[in-house]
Amino acid sequence: MELINIAIKSAFMENMVLAFFLGMCSFLAVSKTVKTAIGLGLAVIFVLGITMPINWLINHYLLSENGIFGMDLTFLRFILFIAVIASMVQLVEMVVEKVSPALYNSLGIFLPLITVNCAIMGGSLFMISREYNLSESVAYGLGGGFGWFLAIVAFAAIREKMAYSNVPAPLRGLGIAFILTGLMGLAFMSLAGINL
Amino acid sequence: MHSTGYIIKFTVIMTIIAGLILSGMFYATEPIAKKNAAVFKKRAILSSISSLLDKPLAQMSDDEVMDLFAQKMEQKVLNMDGAVVEGKAEDLSMAAEAKLDEADRKLPLFTYDGKDGKVNIIGIYGNGLWDKIWGYIALKSDNKTIVGSSFDHKGETPGLGAEIKDNPTFPHRFIGKTIFDDAGQYTSVKVMKKVTDPAHQVDGIGGATLTSNGVSEMMVRGIKYYLPYFKNNKN
Amino acid sequence: MADKEKTPLFGPKEKRLLWDPINDNNPVTVQILGVCSALAVTSLVYKSVVMAIAVIFVVAFSNLITSLVRNYIPSQVRMIAQLVIIATLVTIVELTLKAANYAIYKELSVFIGLIITNCIVMGRLEAFAMGNSPWRSFLDGIGNGLGYGVILIIVGIIRELFGKGTLFAGSPIQLNIIGKSNDLVQYWIDTSPGSMMAWYSNNGLLALPVSSLFLIGIIIWIQRGRNKKLVDVS
Repeated sequence: MELINIAIKSAFMENMVLAFFLGMCSFLAVSKTVKTAIGLGLAVIFVLGITMPINWLINHYLLSENGIFGMDLTFLRFILFIAVIASMVQLVEMVVEKVSPALYNSLGIFLPLITVNCAIMGGSLFMISREYNLSESVAYGLGGGFGWFLAIVAFAAIREKMAYSNVPAPLRGLGIAFILTGLMGLAFMSLAGINL
Repeated sequence: MHSTGYIIKFTVIMTIIAGLILSGMFYATEPIAKKNAAVFKKRAILSSISSLLDKPLAQMSDDEVMDLFAQKMEQKVLNMDGAVVEGKAEDLSMAAEAKLDEADRKLPLFTYDGKDGKVNIIGIYGNGLWDKIWGYIALKSDNKTIVGSSFDHKGETPGLGAEIKDNPTFPHRFIGKTIFDDAGQYTSVKVMKKVTDPAHQVDGIGGATLTSNGVSEMMVRGIKYYLPYFKNNKN
Repeated sequence: MADKEKTPLFGPKEKRLLWDPINDNNPVTVQILGVCSALAVTSLVYKSVVMAIAVIFVVAFSNLITSLVRNYIPSQVRMIAQLVIIATLVTIVELTLKAANYAIYKELSVFIGLIITNCIVMGRLEAFAMGNSPWRSFLDGIGNGLGYGVILIIVGIIRELFGKGTLFAGSPIQLNIIGKSNDLVQYWIDTSPGSMMAWYSNNGLLALPVSSLFLIGIIIWIQRGRNKKLVDVS
């Protein structure tokens, strides 16, 4: 039950984009149409789901004082985490290319973007600072990824409709996107009070 | 295009260089960082008695903080039965203790010996809206009246829950409140939206009801842990 | 900057490298890079300044180092090589901050680590440092870091001044500018001078991270209103 709560919490109450504003770059850049948003969202769920447990294992067994080296190697955390994320993204890219070229064509261009998506790195860092255990970090990764997916798809849907609105010229595109995200963030704040 | 051998050589050399730079940097800065972390914690504790200090806390240098702790601060570690056990209060991690079963926890107790008499400072730890919150409560030597407090948090909303730390008036509201009623019954001090009993209640933070409730819960439970010790050590 | 301009190394092209990202090619408002951290750390000016300096350092030196070794980096591991350089520099920043000012290190917490995934850094490496000389890459890094820092500090000033009534709170030179001159604040922070406009009560919205989204939106509006060629036609 606890795990489901963590997943729900990370998807809604602590939504990566709308509560913590992580992964904003790709959120704003790749949300012009719903179709591409779904592609990127799925890729984020996938990568978060794999990198969280791997980074947890690295942090627990290699870097911590009780790990196999028996000393505090936390200063290598950033390098190892980002290396894991980058290589996982590359691996996913290769596997998808072999298994399903059609999916690769629609998803492929987004995969390199995910490496520098703050949500992935942020997920790993939050997991450490909140002291989750292995299964909790998987739940947090999948829930957080789903929350990110949900946010970008909803945002892309609004932006598609915005194309028909009469927005002042200087605000068109990026400007209104910022304000929209702010409004969505305000709306999501109301979920904060729910206790699970 | 580079050969596989070159790629491996490049990666290995790059990793070694990065590793060497970072480990050198880490071992050079570690002692300073450790001292900083210790001073940071000491300042949080002193902040709860800032009105009793000879010199404003913000103007005290790190060395002065260390000196004050060495000279005027008595440190004890208590168990849940109120007995003093082995250890130094400043080395106790409240976060780690909170993970143990309630009966196995240990509690920090600092006694400041200043110009206005002895003051006991106790540590409390609990849950806010998003994450952990903690604080230090300073009690007069009668162990009844609060003379100061300080709070901190891990991830409360800036501008709302985070005000327990950022707004200096919040800890100030606790000064003068009592944790027992006239009949000697334990009441603790609660954070309320509307204060009905000014002796045991303080004003909450607007818009941060859940963090305020968290502080209330932490105060009630946290101070209760110390009651056996206070009972055994009546002055 | 005055003595730099005398050197022959600093011609009009170099000046543009520094100036463009601050203005017409701003990484935050025009290139939409590095937005994540711009939102979370801008609640106080002091935090924004520290974050800006950290990012300027990381962009400038990762650009410089990448440009120096750009001909030795095998293309297959290009991305990982760049990330290792960035992560090393960010860890250096983290360790320095931990030793130099522990309180601000605690405040910024995970956001220091997130400089690694700040798209400005990676974006400049790919777009500039991989194909230009070390000196120019270094200037480009400083320029982009400054462009990011300027936005961060503008948002920080607005949020802190109207959200808390102070400037530079948390640093040794805290100023109480507007709002009620609070006796308790005076008592707590002994260096603070009095404040004006006592009728002003702090705006709670500006203390929330979402407000920086609105502010950046408005900055974009103003900037594009003044400079029509930046307007999004799509």
